[in-house]
Amino acid sequence: MSSISIRELKLNFGSVEVLKQLDLEIEDGEFLVLLGPSGCGKSTLLNCIAGLLDATDGQIFIKGRNVTWEEPKDRGIGMVFQSYALYPQMSVKGNLSFGLRNQRMARDEIEQRVSRAAEMLQIEALLDRKPAALSGGQRQRVAIGRALVRDADVFLFDEPLSNLDAKLRSELRVEIKRLHARLANTMVYVTHDQIEALTLADRIAVMRHGIIQQLADPHTIYDRPANRFVAGFIGSPSMNFLDGNLVRNGSAAAFDLAGQRISVDGYRANGGDLNGGGTAVLGVRPEHVTIQAQSRPDQTIEATVDIEEPMGADSLQWLRVGDQQLSVRKRADVQHEPGSTVHLDFDLAKASLFDANSEQRL
Amino acid sequence: MRSLAERVYVWAILLSGVAFAASRIGLLGDAGWLHWLFLAAALGAVAVLAVEANGLKFGDNRLRRYALGWIIAAAVALVLWAFGQKQVQEALPFLTAQRRIWGALEPFGLYLAGLFLTFMASLLVIGTLDPIADRPRPIERTLIRRLPAKVAAVPMVMVALGIFVGATLWTVYHSFTSSKLLPKSDFVGFDQYERLWATNRWIISIENLAIYGVCSLTFSLIIGFCLAALLDQKIRFENTFRTIFLYPFALSFIVTGLVWQWLLTPEFGIQKIVRDLGWTNFTFDPLFNADIVIYGILIAGLWQGTGLIMVIMLAGLRGIDQEIWKASRVDGIPMWKTYLFVVIPMMRPVFITALVLIASGIVRVYDLVVAQTSGGPGLASEVPAKYVYDYMFGGQNLGQGFAASTMMLLTVLVVLIPWAYLEFGGRKRV
Ligand SMILES: Nc1ncnc2c1ncn2[C@@H]1O[C@H](COP(=O)(O)OP(=O)(O)O)[C@@H](O)[C@H]1O
Ligand SMILES: [Mg+2]
Repeated sequence: MSSISIRELKLNFGSVEVLKQLDLEIEDGEFLVLLGPSGCGKSTLLNCIAGLLDATDGQIFIKGRNVTWEEPKDRGIGMVFQSYALYPQMSVKGNLSFGLRNQRMARDEIEQRVSRAAEMLQIEALLDRKPAALSGGQRQRVAIGRALVRDADVFLFDEPLSNLDAKLRSELRVEIKRLHARLANTMVYVTHDQIEALTLADRIAVMRHGIIQQLADPHTIYDRPANRFVAGFIGSPSMNFLDGNLVRNGSAAAFDLAGQRISVDGYRANGGDLNGGGTAVLGVRPEHVTIQAQSRPDQTIEATVDIEEPMGADSLQWLRVGDQQLSVRKRADVQHEPGSTVHLDFDLAKASLFDANSEQRL
Repeated sequence: MRSLAERVYVWAILLSGVAFAASRIGLLGDAGWLHWLFLAAALGAVAVLAVEANGLKFGDNRLRRYALGWIIAAAVALVLWAFGQKQVQEALPFLTAQRRIWGALEPFGLYLAGLFLTFMASLLVIGTLDPIADRPRPIERTLIRRLPAKVAAVPMVMVALGIFVGATLWTVYHSFTSSKLLPKSDFVGFDQYERLWATNRWIISIENLAIYGVCSLTFSLIIGFCLAALLDQKIRFENTFRTIFLYPFALSFIVTGLVWQWLLTPEFGIQKIVRDLGWTNFTFDPLFNADIVIYGILIAGLWQGTGLIMVIMLAGLRGIDQEIWKASRVDGIPMWKTYLFVVIPMMRPVFITALVLIASGIVRVYDLVVAQTSGGPGLASEVPAKYVYDYMFGGQNLGQGFAASTMMLLTVLVVLIPWAYLEFGGRKRV
């Protein structure tokens, strides 16, 4: 049974359609990340699940129950916000217990839940402090604790790490992952940071303009992006896109790049027709290209060496093919003379071909 | 020798300031030149230092830029002094409109110019004595730090000292004299205050102020906040409502008072309307009933003032992070509880601003009373500000007016000082 099920959800702000006919099934215990650029409607979708926004149309089920018209508190959710949203005049303990006290829960039960959450998040020592006396990371732990004590079936996170500095962010990221492993309840996590998405998610839903572009596990998203937008959004350094044509080369199909041809035999097609010809875009990540000294017919392409960007363990070599640019990841100790000609070998099994017009994967 | 001269310098400067303040109030009588004597003593100390330094060096003095700064400050002060001179005012006719202000500032200009020139001299001496000091000594530090800001603040400080502090001290001093039509300097102790507290009219004024104050404070805050909370619910026509509620604030107290005098008059206003609707026994005539007349004034005051409080509260509410609201909704906190336990505590600075605005309005309530009741019926709606005004300008009894205004000042201080202590003093010790 899916934990959250969203059916034909629509949401308009006035005349602006933010979510259009959105369908989404989230499995029990799954960690689902909503990923997309700013303003694509991630928070809006999350707020709809939480009940903080009323859907214009469509339905939302949580644990098989139609909650479309229920108040947030009755949906069995806990939520964590980007700005922490702690109650500033209350101590950490007050923050954790305010909701429970308001439900007139028994005092021992509250105590027990608060201390369990505090133990899980290692904030026992901070219970009597005010939020103003906490660091950003500690505040976000308290905010997570406030969701924990609710004993919710579903946790919703809205960019919880965006206000933290890089080091704290990676620490807390690991902690959230550990929390999910321990609690095993459903989590929906909104972020615009692809690293967070790739490290945390069981499945990622990549969104753009209020539409889910691809919903899949991180490997599939990374290796077999459904369209050019997903391919370009995921991965750092980002994917190279080379414009060219699909042509017939004897009996097999080949990709023609400004007169040079490479065979696309190894390409794992998505059911698209490679033999039809026409313009196409070859998308290949910097780590799936290697620089060779020797050329091999139908396998390699000639390129001119441009500048190099060192990145620590390895470095990024920029090259030119005709009037197009691409980058290749290589070992830092191998040097190429700028202006010299080298031969590029593409790993077609890990590359993507997109239709030039629809931008969908072939 | 040097440290002794420096000590004399600091004390002479301080004493000259005290002497100047005292002579402004009129405490010193004939010895109004005393501050110049102290300033001369300070200059003497500078001269002793200069001898020690074998004269002043200007060229490579490391503090010469700061000395120049103080010369500019002295020039600014002198210009303000000059504006108070008759001949200058005749030459520059645009000055005559504010003749009184310039007159009040005039003595300050001259004194400050002298003071700043003393500062300049001391800086030049110090610069000669310690040509390459790596750590500034206290006098030097005081005189050079943020000098441009100090120079720029000269006119403002003069206005603050001359008009606010000076006038206040002058008033307090003369409340201990028997001034009648003109201010006199004969000290009569607490006579004026004894007379004040024996006057029935003053007692009634104080009672009225207390009732008006407590009610006005409570209702302005409650009504203002509730209106703001209602407007904050993303309602339609918010701008229209805001304008409607704020509009009375644009009216003067006199207009407000007249409008409400009319509305509360039994023959035309609310009473007549309700009687015309069928309740022929309905009576509502607060302005003609000595027991409740102050509430009639209160209604007009609230109508005029709550709009502003509402706007301030609305700005405060808009400043609350929307995610706080979301969090409390997920926690299942009812809206009124969120307001009470989360939002209002977060709006403490806004409440303090509102409080100060309301309180200052309360203490000076005057025009409303004049417009609505002129203090009547009988003395039933008198207020302290009206007492002050009537005695100072109507009764030609300055002493009583000064004593009453000093009492008002005291009331404000009694409220303000504990609050300031809690707000600013308490925090450091936590
Ligand atoms: N309260 C609102 N009123 C009108 N438009 C809104 C409102 N909230 C969000 N939007 C619009 O909806 C779109 C999606 O917003 P949001 O879900 O917050 O994006 P994000 O993916 O960055 O979280 C944005 O274009 C934004 O301008
Ligand atoms: Mg967002």
